[in-house]
Amino acid sequence: MAEQAIPAAPVTPEERAQGGVPTWKRVLRYTVVRMVMLFFTVIVGVYLTILIANMGGQVDEIRRAFIREMVGNMLANNPTFRALPPEERQKRMEAEILRWEKRYGLDQPFLVRSFRFLKDAMTLRLGRAENMTSDSGSRRVRLIILERLPPTLFLFGTSALMVFALSLFISLFLSRNYGHWLDRMFVSLSPLSSAPGWFYGLFLITIFAAWLKVLPFGGMISTPPPETPWEYTLSLLKHLILPISAQVLSSLFIGVYSWRTFFLIYSSEDYVEIAKAKGLPSRTIERRYILRPTLPTIITSFALTLIGVWTGQIIFETIFDWPGLGRTFYQATLVYDTAVIVGITVLYAYLLAITVFLLDIIYAIVDPRVDVGGPRTST
Amino acid sequence: MAHTTDTYVLKAEDVVLYFQTRRGIVQAVDHVDFHLGENRAVVIIGESGCGKTSLTRAILRLLPRNVAVYTGRILLDGEDIMALDDETFRTQVRWRKITWVPQAAMNALNPVVRIGDQIAEPLMLHLNMTKAEAIERAQEMFRYVGVPEAFLTRYPFELSGGMRQRAAIAMALVTNPRLIVLDEPTSALDVLTQANIMNVLKKIKWELGVGYILITHDVATSSELADDVAVMYAGQIVEMADAEAFFKEPLHPYARLLMASVPRLYSTENLQFIPGQPPSLLNPPTTCRFKDRCPLAFAKCEQDPPMFRVGDRLVKCWLFEQEGQPVVRSETTVA
Repeated sequence: MAEQAIPAAPVTPEERAQGGVPTWKRVLRYTVVRMVMLFFTVIVGVYLTILIANMGGQVDEIRRAFIREMVGNMLANNPTFRALPPEERQKRMEAEILRWEKRYGLDQPFLVRSFRFLKDAMTLRLGRAENMTSDSGSRRVRLIILERLPPTLFLFGTSALMVFALSLFISLFLSRNYGHWLDRMFVSLSPLSSAPGWFYGLFLITIFAAWLKVLPFGGMISTPPPETPWEYTLSLLKHLILPISAQVLSSLFIGVYSWRTFFLIYSSEDYVEIAKAKGLPSRTIERRYILRPTLPTIITSFALTLIGVWTGQIIFETIFDWPGLGRTFYQATLVYDTAVIVGITVLYAYLLAITVFLLDIIYAIVDPRVDVGGPRTST
Repeated sequence: MAHTTDTYVLKAEDVVLYFQTRRGIVQAVDHVDFHLGENRAVVIIGESGCGKTSLTRAILRLLPRNVAVYTGRILLDGEDIMALDDETFRTQVRWRKITWVPQAAMNALNPVVRIGDQIAEPLMLHLNMTKAEAIERAQEMFRYVGVPEAFLTRYPFELSGGMRQRAAIAMALVTNPRLIVLDEPTSALDVLTQANIMNVLKKIKWELGVGYILITHDVATSSELADDVAVMYAGQIVEMADAEAFFKEPLHPYARLLMASVPRLYSTENLQFIPGQPPSLLNPPTTCRFKDRCPLAFAKCEQDPPMFRVGDRLVKCWLFEQEGQPVVRSETTVA
């Protein structure tokens, strides 16, 4: 009797496929649409940066004034010029100014040039810096960026990976030992993270460099650079201690606190309870029932951390005198070097877009609930 | 009457589960005794917050972090499983002897692991089956509860609520347990699906001889499955009886009012409700806990009544002092 009482209406995979569109076509269409969307986002972002870095064209006025002053000074020191009658001098000066403005492209309206800037930026022809040079003396923005990128990657990569791994590891431990004294300690210490890294940097420099005189004030390597690779590494590590400590101090506690809360929420899900009732060992529960369902979130957080690594931090690098991209960005804003500002932003925008794109794909791999471009046809 | 014999599958004696909260100790399960005979289903009925779910937690040893007191004896086939250490309990009892279909079983499946793998998991772990054997067994169970085998390779989100419930039941059956604890197995489902699931459960009970502990507030649906009924009120069991006798004539005033509040087919009587609220389980009264809401309360109810044995039934009410004999706890501990 019970046999008939159980009607079952399975939905077959065939029914789920929409009109039989092959999977690869859907994935391809999705990928293309997504890429176009992201590219458009990058264009808007970069164009806005161009507008802002040029202050909507205001920087042109500064340049004009600068050219006028420069040409004036140049001609004033020229004996032949000084010998000319005033009207002729005025005419020569205006002509010279025009020539310089044309050289800077100032003869065209800003709006027209802004689109040319956009095209150059998007094609990664980052051009030449107006005032800044790389340490090797080049004015090419690409070289300036490439020269400053490794120190930034090194410092922030190390600290971000450390903070990420530590906070995941510690928070998993704490979520297992809710109410443990360590748990309470991390929770009560989490407000420490309300201050940024450079804030702790100031204190650490005051204590360990100025007062105790055991660690350097800043920089990446002592001057003159040590000769042997061994001494060089040692010096580098010594310079890393304070900045990394500052980063860890400012981001570890809040990281641990939020991950711990996150894992606590996910470990009270019904399927985790079932896993316990099933008698699975706690390591399996942790791996398969807590970490795996939360993997998309963990990956997102990790990817965003990695993007942050590429740009560095402006104040942090300035305080520690770290020769990275953040400090360069700061210097570029001081001297209105729009080419450098736009260059760094374009790099960041592209990295962000690529990361988001990759995340979409990774989600679909790690989480079966994420379905790329409509219902799946597999299984 | 089956439970007059001493062959109980499960016998809970003086089980206490208190929780520590900021406002004090919550006496969620307060000195509870009950038993489950061979191939029988005991339904534990009670309103929300009476401690039903805490009782299942106590049986399954799925305790939250804020446990204050957890004592008593739970005999499974005569063996006190509460005396086992956690590791022995995990390897010997969990899912080998007792399985569980939780409240809101919709959520009982891990969203990112294929259903088949989740069902095969305990087989590979406890019965040392190979993956292929375990999957074969899972297929068998899926057919049995009426889910197409193809769904084993699916993920939970691809199934409907009723399907997921069946899958959860299949998962609970897969190791041939002695007993399944069902915590409101149908409360999240629509009426038709409820009926289907109840039919599946009945079929399993008849054919596989598994014991059920069914926790519910849904008196009507549970009456189909029950062999014995235990009524829980404010953390205590106030009546335990054979289902047929109970549904015909409940003894405890609370049970009577509870049954009077259940709509029946072919009845012209007006439905009743129970006035008032159950007492807080933080510092519950030392009187009979139902006294304030009881229409039959009298002077004696100022004292907490013992359990009285009235024929084959147990009832915790002073009204039965004359008729019944008080059950002394030491008597019940003889298995």
